[in-house]
Amino acid sequence: MRRGHGTVFWTGFAVIVALLIAAPLVLTEFWRRFVTEILIWGLLAMSSDILIGYTGMVSFGHSAFFGLGMYGAAAALLTIDPPNLWLALFYGLVAAAAVAACVAYFSTRLRDIYFAITTLIFSQIFYVIIFTWTAVTGGENGLAFERPPLAIPGLFDFVLTPTRLHWFVLAVVAGSYLILRRITQSPFGMVLQSIRENEARTRAIGYAVERYKIVAVMLSGLFAGLAGVLYALQNQFAAPDFVFFLVSGETVIYNVIGGIGTLVGPIVGAAFFLLLREGLSRFLTQYYLIPLGAVFIAIVILMPQGLLGFMRRWLNE
Amino acid sequence: MTVNPSLAAASSAEVAEDGKAAALLRTEDLTIRFGGLTALDHVNFAVPRSEVCAIIGPNGAGKSTFFNCLTGVLHPTSGAIFFAGADITGLPPNKISQKGIARSYQITNILPNATALENVRIAAQSRRHSWSLFSHHRAYRDIIEKAEAALDSVGLLGKAGEPAANLSHGEQRTLEIAIALATEPQLLCLDEPTAGMSAAETHDTVQLIRRVAANLTILIVEHDMHVVMELAGRITVLHYGAVLAEGTPSEIQQNPRVIEVYLKT
Ligand SMILES: Nc1ncnc2c1ncn2[C@@H]1O[C@H](COP(=O)(O)OP(=O)(O)O)[C@@H](O)[C@H]1O
Ligand SMILES: [Mg+2]
Repeated sequence: MRRGHGTVFWTGFAVIVALLIAAPLVLTEFWRRFVTEILIWGLLAMSSDILIGYTGMVSFGHSAFFGLGMYGAAAALLTIDPPNLWLALFYGLVAAAAVAACVAYFSTRLRDIYFAITTLIFSQIFYVIIFTWTAVTGGENGLAFERPPLAIPGLFDFVLTPTRLHWFVLAVVAGSYLILRRITQSPFGMVLQSIRENEARTRAIGYAVERYKIVAVMLSGLFAGLAGVLYALQNQFAAPDFVFFLVSGETVIYNVIGGIGTLVGPIVGAAFFLLLREGLSRFLTQYYLIPLGAVFIAIVILMPQGLLGFMRRWLNE
Repeated sequence: MTVNPSLAAASSAEVAEDGKAAALLRTEDLTIRFGGLTALDHVNFAVPRSEVCAIIGPNGAGKSTFFNCLTGVLHPTSGAIFFAGADITGLPPNKISQKGIARSYQITNILPNATALENVRIAAQSRRHSWSLFSHHRAYRDIIEKAEAALDSVGLLGKAGEPAANLSHGEQRTLEIAIALATEPQLLCLDEPTAGMSAAETHDTVQLIRRVAANLTILIVEHDMHVVMELAGRITVLHYGAVLAEGTPSEIQQNPRVIEVYLKT
């Protein structure tokens, strides 16, 4: 029974990864880029699920982690010659981790709406800093840079073509998914779920709840920063828009649409939302937000467990 | 009248060690006020190691509040709590749990969506491996075996895979005790463990507590007088937050002040 479940999981995982590997070979450049971006937004949404779905803390500050990952990568790519992919990753993750440590320290003492608001305020502080500190961040115009090569000295040195970038993003997102999945099943992950279910009880059986929350925010911020680095590589620019709270809001929406506490759900949610927005905006130009909002409300009311939860139940019946 | 300060400090630690028959838990003038209400009023109380002690008293006497102070949920206004010779006043609940005090709640307090086994496993895990991030929790057989042993000791092993919310009220009350046992406490505090139970379930729970008491010190708050008389070696009566009487069950049953305020009603 357990083994059977594992086989189904790995088969499904292999099929989806295979399809995503093949995607850039058959899709036009527009749709290739679309799929790459879905993977990146999916990683951002998945990182936020660690807090929303597993720990029961709604973060409205993920744009800060994402944006700092993006600006960290930009800093490395603009200041280090020749541009180095691994240093871009390193800078991005360090920047995101620094912000996450700051947010974690101040916001995890608070619960529920107070936590959400604190994360929102923090992300807006970073937005304002980035927007106004024109000398360093380029302000409103952001920063543009070149894509670094995908290279390990002495082993290989590839130009990062769009297709190779897609594969690189896929590898990072798939790897992150497997790591996050394992973390959610680990003893630590079980403590997070216990906090979600009953915080006071979790404390009473001996857990220093605040410390687990701090580590959860740090982990979540780190993976959100990773998504920011990938986005910088994909679009070759960093802009303050990506630190704005709208990005955080959309991250929460992906989670709610796809189904929280599932990791895969948020990716499905991101894909569904972005595809729907693309389709609707083609036919309805500037009015597309109205039907998009209606669909979102319908999903929240009709499928409270999100698309993935709904599909699961539908498959079981 | 001059006292050597180091001697004074040493003696206060020793009282816990050998003064009052090696009390495992001791409170000194424990007082807590909620606004104008004094819920605990200079409570001096001790639980000797390996005994079963009970606290009784009318509704609102401050029994649950006393437990909340012991377990760090509430901070006393004044006074001190000593456990195993160490001052634990004002420590947070998680630290007190790690020191070896476990409790069950008057109002069932479990993880409703987790299985019975997971409720107990997560408690057992709080002592070991809890910071492991990259191994599956099922890989730690020692924790699962400890959890299964705790479930078995309360007779719930057959329901291990059942979501806790699906258990009957009585079973949920017993699961509470299993959760507390899984943290391997020295002192187990039970807040009305038989509340809302049928006569048969109450009987089973009394047997369970008696079995558990073989290796533990137990402090029990109970409404059911039969349960208290059957289990406790010593009884303390709380009334309006103050200790009204203390003694063996028969002493308490014959104490005229106790009869007046409590036993008669
Ligand atoms: N957190 C609190 N805030 C204010 N009053 C409280 C609080 N907890 C308990 N009380 C009050 O303290 C008194 C003792 O309550 P409690 O300890 O629950 O009594 P018991 O468990 O003996 O029935 C009651 O009057 C109750 O209303
Ligand atoms: Mg009570």
